[in-house]
Amino acid sequence: MKKQIIPGCVMLVLSLVISIGSFTFLSPCVHEDGSVGACWWAGRALLGLGCLLGVLAVLTLVSGRARFGTYLSSIAVCVLGILTPGTLINLCRMSSMHCRAVMQPAMIILFSISAIAAAIGAWVSRRDK
Amino acid sequence: MSKTMAGMSSLSVKNLKRKPGRTIALVLLTAFLALAVFGGSVVVLSLRNGLQSLEARLGADIILVPSEAQSKVSFQNMFLQGTTGAFYMDASVTEKALEVPGVEKAAPQVFLASLKADCCSIKIQVIGIDPEKDFTVQPWIARSLTGELGDLEVAVGCKVEADIGEIIRIYEQRCKVVARLEPTGTGLDTAVYCNMDTMNKLLAAAEAKGISHKITSNDDSVVSAVYIKVKDGYDIDTVNTALTGKLRKVTAVRTRSMITGVSDSLAGVSRTITTMVIVIWVLAFVILLLAYILIVRERSREFAVLRLLGASRKMLGRMALLESAACGLLGGILGVVAAAVGVFAFASLIENSLGLPYLMPAFFSVILLAAGTVLLSVAVSAAASAISAWRLSRVNPGTALREGN
Repeated sequence: MKKQIIPGCVMLVLSLVISIGSFTFLSPCVHEDGSVGACWWAGRALLGLGCLLGVLAVLTLVSGRARFGTYLSSIAVCVLGILTPGTLINLCRMSSMHCRAVMQPAMIILFSISAIAAAIGAWVSRRDK
Repeated sequence: MSKTMAGMSSLSVKNLKRKPGRTIALVLLTAFLALAVFGGSVVVLSLRNGLQSLEARLGADIILVPSEAQSKVSFQNMFLQGTTGAFYMDASVTEKALEVPGVEKAAPQVFLASLKADCCSIKIQVIGIDPEKDFTVQPWIARSLTGELGDLEVAVGCKVEADIGEIIRIYEQRCKVVARLEPTGTGLDTAVYCNMDTMNKLLAAAEAKGISHKITSNDDSVVSAVYIKVKDGYDIDTVNTALTGKLRKVTAVRTRSMITGVSDSLAGVSRTITTMVIVIWVLAFVILLLAYILIVRERSREFAVLRLLGASRKMLGRMALLESAACGLLGGILGVVAAAVGVFAFASLIENSLGLPYLMPAFFSVILLAAGTVLLSVAVSAAASAISAWRLSRVNPGTALREGN
């Protein structure tokens, strides 16, 4: 039981970092004139995906038999999170900009660790299905 | 013999698994060492590469700029951080400079800071070059572009995320990207390069938007900087003084003084990083040493039993060394991976924070450095455990077991 929920706890913590980070320290570029660029929408999408990952993480902690499937869905959300900044939604075109220098690499790393945690969770809870 | 070794290896692995807390602590400590060495070395190497690249890219001995340029923008920041700046002087400066004894080549450049481009929220520096006269940027462009830059064609620095064939709009002018330049680790990577005809069109478009580059009401033939190459055998300082004397309202900047300034800052940063890495290594080595000495007390009964079961002293010493080497290997790999993720993923952030030329080392150098760091971690881990391995191999079974009771 303990082994099966530890990956869920890791995912929950990471989803909080992703969600809070997407509008604070890992936010898209701050525009001086108040206008928004493509990277702003990427930031919104990442906030949504972070929240979704958080909900799935909570489900892995409380659900018994559905844990395996929830971990698998989390992997799909993480893949979407990795692809969102830069691939699915454009970012600014200067790699020194905040969205490319900070937001994109940090989000890719956070979602990748979450995906690994979800994969471990799916592996250890594969007999529960 | 090989059977005994295999048995010992398997026993060492079992020992590591049996005490996961102790193993994880030792692995993490070694990982911290590897992280500091690999991360620190990559940053220092990147700074050195950046300085070499800056020297290669500047290529000129002297740069002529309008006198007011120094007060408008830090010329050094334009090269290092890609700060935009636009200042103009009469184009005749190029011809006048060539008349000064000792001047071999004079290449004019025109700078234009774009408005907020449609791609991102910051201004982009547009640099117009004369391909026939240029000897600084043209060789760099030639590495990525076989032909010459045509009208409304641009070459972009590697940090401008635009694909070849893509259209970027500068002052509502549609410019086609024909080349992406190799990284230099300097502010030049954030600029867009075009020929003088394109630049004149962009200047006219900027004029239409109310951004004037004219220095007199009927003169639109301007340059921003003239790069000077001094003939061999001439003293650069003498030529510099002659240029300053001949050209009015023009400042002659020696590139060497700019590079020396950067080199001094870089030496300071490198020294700080190297000192930090050494301090971390010494501290971590002492902690590892203490940890292994404490382990001797904890494991003396275990080794006494192994002695009673027939294990030789040599075997026990080797087993203790094998365990520490395994921890070193795991920790080394973990530390190198963590440092690689940090320094490569956040390279732009590190570069922006340092404000110095920063160019990542080549792939082969990175692999060599990673392998060296892992080997060093194994060696240090084994060295730290050498004393405890020696003491454990000399455990007196009778005394150790009696003490336990």
